[in-house]
Amino acid sequence: MKAIVANRLIDGEVVYWNHGAWKTRFGEAELFEADDAAEAAVAQANVPTQVVDCYLIDVAPEADGYAPTAFRERVKATGPQNHPQHGKQAEGGHDIELIKQAHGIARSAGRHNLIKLKK
Amino acid sequence: MPKLIRLHDGHAAFANDAYVTVADEDETPASGDVILPLERFRTEGEVLLSNGRNVGVLLASDQAIEDIAQDLTRLSLVALSFPKFRDGRHYTSARLLRERFGYDGEIRAVGEVLREQAVFFVRCGFDAFEPADGSTPEQWMAAAGRFRHVYQRGADDRDPAFIERTQ
Amino acid sequence: MYRYDAIDRAFVEDRAAQFKAQVARRLAGEISEDQFKPLRLMNGLYLQLHAYMLRISIPYGTLSTTQLRKLAWIARTYDKGYGHFTTRQNLQFHWIKLRDVPDILDHLASVEMHALQTSGNCIRNVTSDPRAGATAEEIEDPRVWSELIRQWAALHPEFSFLPRKFKIAVTASPHDRTAARLHDIGLLMRKGREGLGFEVIVGGGMGRTPYVGPTIREFLPAEHLMSYLEAILRIYNRHGRRDNIYKARIKILVAQLGAEEFARQVEAEWEAIDRPSLDLPQAEIERVRAGFAAPAFETLPGRSDAFEAAKAADYALARFARNNVHPHKQPGYAIVDISLKAPGETPGDATGDQMDAIADLADAYSFGEVRVTHEQNLVLAHVKLDDVAAVFAGLKAIGLASANINLVSDIIACPGLDYCALANARAIPIAQDIAVRFANAETAEKIGELKIKISGCINACGHHHVGHIGILGVDKKGEEFYQLSLGGSAAEDAEVGKILGPAVPADKVTDAVDQMIEVYLRERHAGERFIDTYRRVGLVPFKEAVYAEAH
Repeated sequence: MKAIVANRLIDGEVVYWNHGAWKTRFGEAELFEADDAAEAAVAQANVPTQVVDCYLIDVAPEADGYAPTAFRERVKATGPQNHPQHGKQAEGGHDIELIKQAHGIARSAGRHNLIKLKK
Repeated sequence: MPKLIRLHDGHAAFANDAYVTVADEDETPASGDVILPLERFRTEGEVLLSNGRNVGVLLASDQAIEDIAQDLTRLSLVALSFPKFRDGRHYTSARLLRERFGYDGEIRAVGEVLREQAVFFVRCGFDAFEPADGSTPEQWMAAAGRFRHVYQRGADDRDPAFIERTQ
Repeated sequence: MYRYDAIDRAFVEDRAAQFKAQVARRLAGEISEDQFKPLRLMNGLYLQLHAYMLRISIPYGTLSTTQLRKLAWIARTYDKGYGHFTTRQNLQFHWIKLRDVPDILDHLASVEMHALQTSGNCIRNVTSDPRAGATAEEIEDPRVWSELIRQWAALHPEFSFLPRKFKIAVTASPHDRTAARLHDIGLLMRKGREGLGFEVIVGGGMGRTPYVGPTIREFLPAEHLMSYLEAILRIYNRHGRRDNIYKARIKILVAQLGAEEFARQVEAEWEAIDRPSLDLPQAEIERVRAGFAAPAFETLPGRSDAFEAAKAADYALARFARNNVHPHKQPGYAIVDISLKAPGETPGDATGDQMDAIADLADAYSFGEVRVTHEQNLVLAHVKLDDVAAVFAGLKAIGLASANINLVSDIIACPGLDYCALANARAIPIAQDIAVRFANAETAEKIGELKIKISGCINACGHHHVGHIGILGVDKKGEEFYQLSLGGSAAEDAEVGKILGPAVPADKVTDAVDQMIEVYLRERHAGERFIDTYRRVGLVPFKEAVYAEAH
């Protein structure tokens, strides 16, 4: 399972692709089953006047939803641990709680193509 | 092909480029002005010069200016290549050409030559540019003159701050 | 401190205007991110995990209170109310929006500040001694030369696209508080028969391949500093490697050529270079020197009865005095360190309100000047002994009175994976955990000087190579692990630490530190610091203690 993440050019905000629009919460991200659909969507999403650093991330099912598998992506989706009142985690919500409690498959700093997923 | 901008007496303008840059795999044209890569210059330069043609040498970013030091008086142009704009080796080459070897022919910047580097090029002694970003002479000079003051001595005639302050 | 003249002011205004135009072109799609990235980096603007990060230059770590208040205001107006002081004496804001950056640069320019060359492959902010102008040890105020270098390096036409970043440190004291031997160039001021000069060290550095830099010249007359720097940079610009980012720093060139051959090449270039045109006129040196003239100290006795009485009455103040207060060259004055390492807090962070309060204290008690140390603390450099108690009370009110300078909880940590796009692992939570474990001030004092330094990746912003205990976050099969090293030093006895053994998981780091401290307490001789005991007994006992369970 994949999702598309980027930082918005104008303010750096972490955003997730969903059917032609950028959303600010991981819980709103479009999830792709098929790799080729995900690749095609990235090509469409990566508009250089809108976003920077646009790429695919791995997503895995948790007990009650989905979470990014890479630890780095979990930090991006939630916020810094030292300031729980900053970042997306400040708003709280189900998707944030789920990511915070997710037990990682790969607690990795790496991006999609760097992560070796256990199959 | 990028249009050539030449700097003369502090003014920049588009210029007709009489030179043909000969790529490694190309034949040298039978007449006219040419720019040769260093290796080609070593084999063909002597003959071309003795035929009275204007010859320039193109140095790759890892080639040293000292390699053509003996020939400078006969070269009408030195082209310095920036394969990536981040590769800053030839800023030193240009300064050495002007300040150490007293070269007064054209020093041309080729490759990934961008407006944001204009001030560095001009200050290091380049006087011809092939902007890869389509800059006009006006844009080029605006970028080159963006700073009212400079802090260091360069190959240009601008007084650095430490001289301005004594005046 | 040095104040801008009209030329300096025009320069930072022009710089801000230039960046404003560059941002506009980026937003309009006229330049690509690939082309924009180096431009924004030269203005200290990174893209991190959650937002842009703006790294503001604090030249040689000296701030006026006007500047500090402006930083506080920027923190509240454009960030989330706080900033992070770095190991390069700079300040980072972690929640910056690209659209605000041109305005922020204008505000910085209005108080003689900039973010110029705090990133990118250029000459970075000059490091200097946070006790400059205050310590009796120094030959002269090293900031004079730091400021001259700052100006020389600003948009240098020849050296703005170097193979890699380039860091210079200047110190004039035998006790090195700048990590000079770990810089690309370290300049140690010397007094020779012919006057002032510098011992020149080139090719130190941390990162993936740490080196303690060798001396390439024992004595360089100070008046030739600029032409000599120009010669060093020219050799590096021409011959430094550009094919591999990990081998591009000058330390690799110096190591590959050998210090002697590198020095020979520099000397040959220096012989050929036009020194009179590059070396600064004496009048310019004197102009900048005047900017660092000593403030109007009062004539006071060397001992303050009020301070002695206050210490006797308040054990907390006495502890603060033992650890955070240092001798000053002027009788009746002291240098006061402000620890940004309250146990449980983020090392190096200060809120805008704390910055304002520190500015008030500096105005009242320290001639309106604040220093930043490379160990991520602040300094009030000129406090009357009579006023130390008042400063302590003021710091206590804002939660910054931790009396832990150089102690176990005075930990350097980079932002790590909580913020940084380059990090492999978190650094801040590790630092918080260790500091909380050793929060007891008596325990910490009993342990004595112990420098723990944590980096979240091999780039070593947290200086882990030179920690007495170094901690490096690594990504091991998809998990955060931490490699421990021992015996590093950033001081005049600079040394790169040795790796203790296999990396340990996050939840074992504090235990491992605890175990190593137990070994030290068991093995130490009277008066020995942690580092001294390590140097005497070696790695083995520490290693045995940490990995005992594994056997």
